Amino acid sequence: MHEELYAAVQQTNALACLECGKCTSVCPVSRFSQEYSPRLMLNQAVKQDFDTLFADYDLWSCLTCQRCDQVCPSAISYIELTQTLRNNTDSSRFKGQCSHSGVLETLQKMMTTRDLRQNRLDWVGNELDISTDTGEILYFVGCAPYFDSFFTNLELSTLDAAISSIKILNHLGIKPVLLPQERCCGHDLYWNGDMDNFKMLAEHNLEMIAKTGCKTILFSCAECQSAFQNLYVENGFKVPWKLQHLSQFLAEQVESGKLELAPVAKPVTFQDPCRLGRHLSEYDAPRQVLKSNGGDNLVEMKQHGKGALCCGVSAWMNCDGTTRKIQNERLDQAYATGAETMAVACPKCHIHLQCTQQHAGDDGPKIEIRDIATITLERIG
Amino acid sequence: MPEPTPHTFDIFREEGQLSFPGKKEEYRFGPVEPSPCTNACPAGVNVKAYVSLMAAGKFGAALDVIRERNPLPGICGRVCTHPCEAACNRNVVDQPVAVRWLKRFAADYELAHPGEPPAKIETTRQEKVAVIGAGPSGLTAANDLVRRGFDVTVFEALPEAGGMLIAGIPAYRLPRKILSAEIDYLTNLGIKIETGTKIEGEKAIDELFKQGFEAIYLAIGAHKGKKLNIKGEGRYRGILDAVAFLNQVNFSASEKPGDKVIVIGGGNSAVDSARTALRLGSSEVHIVYRRTRQEMPADEEEIDEAEKEGVKIHYLAAPVEIVGKKGRVTGMTCQKMELGEPDESGRRRPVPIPDSEYLVEADCIIPAISQEPEIEFGLSDVKLSRWNTLVADEDTMATDRPGVFAGGDAVTGPSTVIDAIAHGHRAADSILHYLTGQPLENPVPPQMLPEAEIKIDLDQRSQIARAGMPAMEVQQRLGNFDEVEFGFDEATAIAEAQRCLRCGPCAECEECVSLCDKQPAMLTVDGHTGEYLCRVPDNLRSLVNSESSLTANLKIGKKKIDVILQSLQPRVAANICRGCGECVSVCDYGALELIASSGDLQISQLDPEKCRACGICVSACPNGAMLPGFIDDAWLNSKLDRMATGATNLVVFSCRWNGSSLHSDELAQIRTDKVNLNLIQTICGGRIEPGFVLKALAAGASGVLLTACDDESCHYGVGARRVRESFDEIRSLVHILGTDPQRIGFAAIPDGDSVKFIQTIADFAQSLNNNGGK
Repeated sequence: MHEELYAAVQQTNALACLECGKCTSVCPVSRFSQEYSPRLMLNQAVKQDFDTLFADYDLWSCLTCQRCDQVCPSAISYIELTQTLRNNTDSSRFKGQCSHSGVLETLQKMMTTRDLRQNRLDWVGNELDISTDTGEILYFVGCAPYFDSFFTNLELSTLDAAISSIKILNHLGIKPVLLPQERCCGHDLYWNGDMDNFKMLAEHNLEMIAKTGCKTILFSCAECQSAFQNLYVENGFKVPWKLQHLSQFLAEQVESGKLELAPVAKPVTFQDPCRLGRHLSEYDAPRQVLKSNGGDNLVEMKQHGKGALCCGVSAWMNCDGTTRKIQNERLDQAYATGAETMAVACPKCHIHLQCTQQHAGDDGPKIEIRDIATITLERIG
Repeated sequence: MPEPTPHTFDIFREEGQLSFPGKKEEYRFGPVEPSPCTNACPAGVNVKAYVSLMAAGKFGAALDVIRERNPLPGICGRVCTHPCEAACNRNVVDQPVAVRWLKRFAADYELAHPGEPPAKIETTRQEKVAVIGAGPSGLTAANDLVRRGFDVTVFEALPEAGGMLIAGIPAYRLPRKILSAEIDYLTNLGIKIETGTKIEGEKAIDELFKQGFEAIYLAIGAHKGKKLNIKGEGRYRGILDAVAFLNQVNFSASEKPGDKVIVIGGGNSAVDSARTALRLGSSEVHIVYRRTRQEMPADEEEIDEAEKEGVKIHYLAAPVEIVGKKGRVTGMTCQKMELGEPDESGRRRPVPIPDSEYLVEADCIIPAISQEPEIEFGLSDVKLSRWNTLVADEDTMATDRPGVFAGGDAVTGPSTVIDAIAHGHRAADSILHYLTGQPLENPVPPQMLPEAEIKIDLDQRSQIARAGMPAMEVQQRLGNFDEVEFGFDEATAIAEAQRCLRCGPCAECEECVSLCDKQPAMLTVDGHTGEYLCRVPDNLRSLVNSESSLTANLKIGKKKIDVILQSLQPRVAANICRGCGECVSVCDYGALELIASSGDLQISQLDPEKCRACGICVSACPNGAMLPGFIDDAWLNSKLDRMATGATNLVVFSCRWNGSSLHSDELAQIRTDKVNLNLIQTICGGRIEPGFVLKALAAGASGVLLTACDDESCHYGVGARRVRESFDEIRSLVHILGTDPQRIGFAAIPDGDSVKFIQTIADFAQSLNNNGGK
């Protein structure tokens, strides 16, 4: 096993580590949890001290937000090394603690069943014009139907983003395809180190999408998009479609004049999802949409774009005290802009930040957190 | 207050010791705090245990529990002053559980459904013990000593055994067939009772020692009525003290004592005398008592009944002079009193009101003010108090003469049956120690705490009326001594027992202990090896908490068992805790506090010394950060690793309180070739997480049933609500997933209602089968 791990050390360029510590200095987890240091973890990996690494809770602390990789002078992929190590832990080892008693993780695993008969499109009303078999453009909903049924205590609806997206597409004369038996994209299982189930989910999705004859897939969830665009491809799956975050699609439509939007009414700030930003290098499209027809109302947080701060949790793992601190810091940055709205482009950012803001009680400052699609729908005349 | 886990093999209820392979040190542990009712019982009867068993319809087992500490269940079920009921936490909600009447039912049930008489207990020891007096105290001591293998002879002066039970308590309260049945039970065990044998003479005690008795218990009672010391006493015929009167009535056919009768005093003897006189045909019966009804020591029920039957009670009245003509009583002058300052007994002292004398006409006066022992033998070195009672150490019952012990009314003056029984236990323990050469300090730690410390959350409890006692119509009572109270029927007894709030550690039914005896190596639950879940003794906490499980050798008395100890204390998952403080606010033991983690954030910290493993924090944590000591993914997976092919796999997650008093046999009716039942119990239903249900389905369960106690009976306040909420979430999730939500069931079941619990499981299994199993 150690040989395989050492191969990963080589492939991720870890041997080139200069021990400069830039990774640790930018890491949001290290910033709030003194014990955690990507540089030390790398150091142990280079020394092939894998047993120590496996015994360490911190193997599961990394948010895979890719902030470290971005600043590494040796182009090491620390998050890929982390994923490989997680994938190689055996069941007797400490595993990351999935929040909510593992409900979401279990749902993801249950979706690997081939002959599943989900009722996942119950929310699609008559006002939405969609196809469930073939079409040019496929809208990949993601797990929002499950989120909304489970997070009933949170004042949010992640399905609003899907409904708004479809309304915008309908407005543009597009009848998107939705998959009645769509599966979880597998993003979370991949980063939890569960490769087998990740691959099964990818297979189910790709097989169903191929039957629709679509040319473009649109995503409201940045994690789903990064799964298709990066993870599926890296793991040998063929993904022969144009993949776009809804904000990228909207930016094209605005650019080409097909979509006219009223200016954003109230000051707004934008939460870059790690997956859309650092993982897929898209920083401009959502801002273009928010700024279209008068961009004075877009105000940036202290950390934004490439340096944006993560929402604090990935793959539902280890929601903990450090998480809370990262989220509070992020919310404080948002409050400091004076914006009334925080636009998000990933349901996970939405859920995590909403949860923390809600649990802070009624006294503190508040910002309205909304998906970019719902904001955009309002701006259509 | 939330209480520690039910239905655990609560091995630390008794004293014992634990040793660990590879460790030199031995750990001793003592008994745990009893529930308020058990704590209040002078005889140490485990009240909660037998009430729990009766709630489950297990009357025989309940009677066994009673007999462990009370050899006279049918008698105490009728005449005990029931301090347990006064201590009952239900007093705060409505009325106490009718514990005494439940005990009576358990005893009567055995009489109505007789089995084999008990086997005679072998005498295994050489030493002979003499007990003087076959009243409750003497019989208790004799019973304890016979069970320990001693040869015991009880000497009784009266023609029948029972002491004050037969001499002083009228048959309408205590039918003679009940008394004789209980005495027969004891003689069947091997207690020898020599009735009509008076111990008398200057050298009586020495004589007994000479006859070969090595220890003597003087339990002679207090049968001599005290003098009133008022004018006219002794001058007229028609004055008869209560004990002599009742004795006469009880042992020989009696005429009415007089036509107009005055009884003086406020205790049970006074009320008994008054009601007896009425039954014998006296046309007018008065009770004269110095204080008010509140201070009256007789049982309230007795006073009620006496008034119903027509006894006229003069409160705040004191006898001044007995008057008479021609040597016969014609009446008594009384003086009205008022209550002044409290005296040393805490009761307000009655003070005479000047010039308030009045005359009550009567041809018979029965003083029932108090009694003292009637001592007709030489005391040798035994001391007498200034109240003419025997002097004995109140813990050991030892007198100044080695080998001679004394207890019951002979020491205390007239007191209750249950106090006499308590003395009997102490005397028996001391005699054992005396005869085996051990020091005489009280061998049993004091059973009674200054006050019962176990309080439970009473705000959520709804009122359930206490069962009334069916009784004979008042008109039918006069002229006979038939028992007035009829007793409960079976349904009433069960319903009344189910009113019990079951305060304190576990249901204490000990059903698990009997299981354990069958499988001494390892407790087997539901046919599968299960874990011992135990409350950890204080000095073991850190050891057990530092390791996930520990194998140990347990020794209680002669019983030796291998056990696996697992701490039930929850752990704070520091990685999940968000420092919201919910657990701190619900913990009644102050075992949780928020500590700074870093920055301005806090996390919860558990103090293992204070934690009582009740589990309320586990239920209350909104984030699932309080992990019960034994519940984690590995635990859940091991539980779920039992799916059968070709059968309906039914997984039941239940609150342990739902299954308390549940015997594994009772699940057998559900477990068939077609139904593979997997019962997984958590501390509180509130701990059943949505993830558990999904994981059970993912593991192949055909259906998952969640049960929690209903809102009324939840021991943790929030449990039922939490599981109901997660039930709604989980049903909508599985609907989206395309799984029939009917495969998930939820039921709120009153704590301890094992009948409904089993029925609910059976019904759910049936509904799964109707839906095709999968």
